[in-house]
Amino acid sequence: MNTKVEISWQGRNFSLLADRAIHWPSQKTLFIADPHFGKAATFRKSGIPVPERTTQDDCDRLTKLVEETSSRTIIFLGDFFHARIGKTEEVRKILTDWRKNLSSLQVHLVRGNHDLSSGDPWPELQIQCHPDPVNIFGIECRHLPVPRSQKPYLAGHIHPGFTLKGRGKDQIRSACFHLNQSQIILPAFGSFTGLKNIQPLPGEHIFLTNGKEIFEIPITA
Amino acid sequence: MWAPPLIEWMNQGELRRKRPARLKVLWITPLRALVEDTNRSLTELVEGLQLPWTIESRSGDTTGSRKASQRKKFPAALVTTPESLSLLLSYPETRESFSELEAVIVDEWHELLSTKRGTQTELCLARLRRWNPSLRTWGLSATLGNLKQAMAALLGNDKEGVLIEGDTRKKFVVKTLIPKNMERFPWSGHLGGKLVEQVAQAIEKKTTSLVFTNVRSQTEYWFDALLGVRPEWKGQIGIHHGSIDRKERTVIENRLRSGEIKAVVCTSSLDLGVDFSPVEQVIQIGGPKGIARLLQRAGRCGHQPGATSTVICVPTQAMELIEYAAARKSMAEGKIEEREPLDAPLDLLAQHLITLALGGGFKEGETISEIKTAWSYRNLTRQEWDWTVEFIVRGGKTLQAYDQFKRVVLKDGVYQVPSSLISRFHRMSIGTITSDPAITVQFQKGKTLGTIDESFIARIKKGSHFFFSGKLLTLVRIRDLTAVVKLARSGKGVIPVWGGGKFPLSSELAQSVRERIEQFRLGKTSEPEMKAMQGTLQLQDEESHLPALSEFLIEKTITNDGVNWFLFPFAGRLAHEGLASLIAHRMSQLEPMTLSVSFNDYGLSLCSNSEKEIDETTWRTLLRPEGLVEELLTCMNQSEMAKRQFREVARVAGLIFQGYPGAQKSIKQVQASGGLFFDVFAKYDPDNLLLTQARREVLDRQLEAKRLTEKLREIQNQLFVLRNPAKLTPFSFPLWAESLRTQISSESWSDRVRKMAQELEAGN
Repeated sequence: MNTKVEISWQGRNFSLLADRAIHWPSQKTLFIADPHFGKAATFRKSGIPVPERTTQDDCDRLTKLVEETSSRTIIFLGDFFHARIGKTEEVRKILTDWRKNLSSLQVHLVRGNHDLSSGDPWPELQIQCHPDPVNIFGIECRHLPVPRSQKPYLAGHIHPGFTLKGRGKDQIRSACFHLNQSQIILPAFGSFTGLKNIQPLPGEHIFLTNGKEIFEIPITA
Repeated sequence: MWAPPLIEWMNQGELRRKRPARLKVLWITPLRALVEDTNRSLTELVEGLQLPWTIESRSGDTTGSRKASQRKKFPAALVTTPESLSLLLSYPETRESFSELEAVIVDEWHELLSTKRGTQTELCLARLRRWNPSLRTWGLSATLGNLKQAMAALLGNDKEGVLIEGDTRKKFVVKTLIPKNMERFPWSGHLGGKLVEQVAQAIEKKTTSLVFTNVRSQTEYWFDALLGVRPEWKGQIGIHHGSIDRKERTVIENRLRSGEIKAVVCTSSLDLGVDFSPVEQVIQIGGPKGIARLLQRAGRCGHQPGATSTVICVPTQAMELIEYAAARKSMAEGKIEEREPLDAPLDLLAQHLITLALGGGFKEGETISEIKTAWSYRNLTRQEWDWTVEFIVRGGKTLQAYDQFKRVVLKDGVYQVPSSLISRFHRMSIGTITSDPAITVQFQKGKTLGTIDESFIARIKKGSHFFFSGKLLTLVRIRDLTAVVKLARSGKGVIPVWGGGKFPLSSELAQSVRERIEQFRLGKTSEPEMKAMQGTLQLQDEESHLPALSEFLIEKTITNDGVNWFLFPFAGRLAHEGLASLIAHRMSQLEPMTLSVSFNDYGLSLCSNSEKEIDETTWRTLLRPEGLVEELLTCMNQSEMAKRQFREVARVAGLIFQGYPGAQKSIKQVQASGGLFFDVFAKYDPDNLLLTQARREVLDRQLEAKRLTEKLREIQNQLFVLRNPAKLTPFSFPLWAESLRTQISSESWSDRVRKMAQELEAGN
């Protein structure tokens, strides 16, 4: 099983994990983008029925990732919450329980566009919030990618997806990591989030994932 | 139709020149565009009679303030659409305002009948009839194969009616522009363009022509192509389709009515309604796809009594020539398609019940009886009712899974909507039309041109050109669901593609096409279209085989893509989609493989990189009628079919809000795609009612399981002809070139990705 891909980027070693996260072993850190917690609750409060289990599932996935990588820090690259009305008691309870289990973990959040209107996470979650961008452990962390940044960075926001085509007119569309010299865009972590197809340029890298396995896709001109 | 309520009113001695205090007549029309026109012609009538009646219109185009003042004081007659009527029912005071309503007239009923909008009309009428059991209903319909059923559906389950048929049979002539060089004529594609000069000449011969196309992109293409050969027509020809701004369309419609325009290139947007008397000629670009549709379009010209309606058909690909010959034959024999009312769509019932909950609340017992008077729901079961109520009250069957969800609550035996946020969202989402997220196209100075699909504009780079509304535009920027553009000086542009399906060939016409081919084989065809097709059909016979009625043709051709199998059941694209998925599913059970499936009106194709040999016995097993429904349900989950249908279901049931520019944040944050909903439901609540509904709709409506079973039985009785042509044939080429595909696979995600990645690597 190809559950992760190890890469070297800007002189640092990272693991791109199939479950839509990046592991930075030397700093015992996980990067997660766009969980959109409370999105399903936002829908339900607006009279649109969406099953709840997504929040619990996403928290379970986070715990598993932290345990498997023995990480001490999580850096959320924005859009922790989906909307203010989705910050329900139920979501709060699930997240608080999750945090209690991992009380020694350091958690950072770079505020994304959704966080600006949803407000910061509840204090008991003990999440340190930063404006976009912020430098943590010497690396530039962003929510919104910027076209011409002086410093190479990691970012979210895009929810990148890619359609792979092959012989027999086969095609597959999945979430992906999108890399070049100056940026790494992470796939959205939340289970109830969509995809936006991207067109990589020659020299860039695409890592396709279905949540279980991850593969690098050669980029053809 | 309108006379009886008027006469009655006059007989009541109310000729005191005083307008009726309340609404008397309701006129329902399927198109927003028709609302204003109908209003105008009715007003002329009333003014001619010098009656003090007020007539007003109400549709999505009516301003909010106008709507509000209407609700306070209704006119004597109101012209509206099914959606706007439904919306009115969501206000509690409507019952009082409608208390003197005497007649409802439903215009163009054939157009609504077999759609969810028709079902929505049935539900609204059921409500109006419960308020006033002596309400009179009139329906107007074009010719259909099942007029009696159409009437029954309109009148509801407990009423009987009278069918009045006009006996003035109009004369129709179907002419075809035959391409001069058939050898060069394309076998596939839908834009065409080889015949532009001939079309221009046909337009020149008459004062006013309507040029019908089947899809919006074709409209843009032909408008530009006509100006290409006749630049001097700039300003003299117009373009009209559903995505062009309402104001622009009205300008074109008015110029058409006054006869000051040479031609209008349009889609179904001008199929219906008001008579544009100056229209002398109708031109149909591309296949007619249905006999009723061609009749309807032909009927847009020749309005003088006794005049002949001529329609000039312009093929964009070879097989369409046979369709014209077939349509002409069927028209002559009076074989018109049937349109069947839908069978109890529960997504729509859910929407309607919320509307009733808003409009003063509803009680169970009396509402069940009311709903059952609507034809589509006459056999509604207790179980279906319970499901639907559970869905709007609790969100789904799994109770704890839908915490915080309160769309409708039961209070003192009455179902009501508890919050104003939900009321607002619901009123915004009433309706059944599904469209892609739309981007408004706007000039820098602010004038709007219309809307375009998000998926199309996403592919256009800033500064590059595209055609829209008959103009070459440069994209300046995209912001907040608006594409800001400016006129481009010159150059080439891309033609937009709008989502939304192609018209499928009706099964009646498909049968008739097959019949033409049979007659051709027997040397018994003399139509110019069939003569023109001679070379193409002979080539098909030489390279492969031209199947007789008693034969079933399967071709296998190896191309760069892999192995392609082509099967030709001639059953129309809807049936072929189901058959293709079924066969692909069964094939993938034989050994791990991935199949890419495509289909058109004549056949289906399966493409794979497996080298598997399939003999006649295996084909016969793959095409067995036994187990069809169960296996279709299985493979529906693998393919995109249910997912696609789910979009409509999710939209009607109020899961998906259609975005619009300037939508508030509260709306934007609850927008998600149908596909995402489908995935989440399938994973976390697989028994959800809406998933069941989507699957049922695919089975009943799209795949027509019964018809598929019959088709497979028929195929089993046919003689199988297996051919391995070295090159693609006139029959197989269009299927090979079809870009809309769906994948069915028994291989794992990682095996497929690994294989494709390796191919890319090797290709570098």
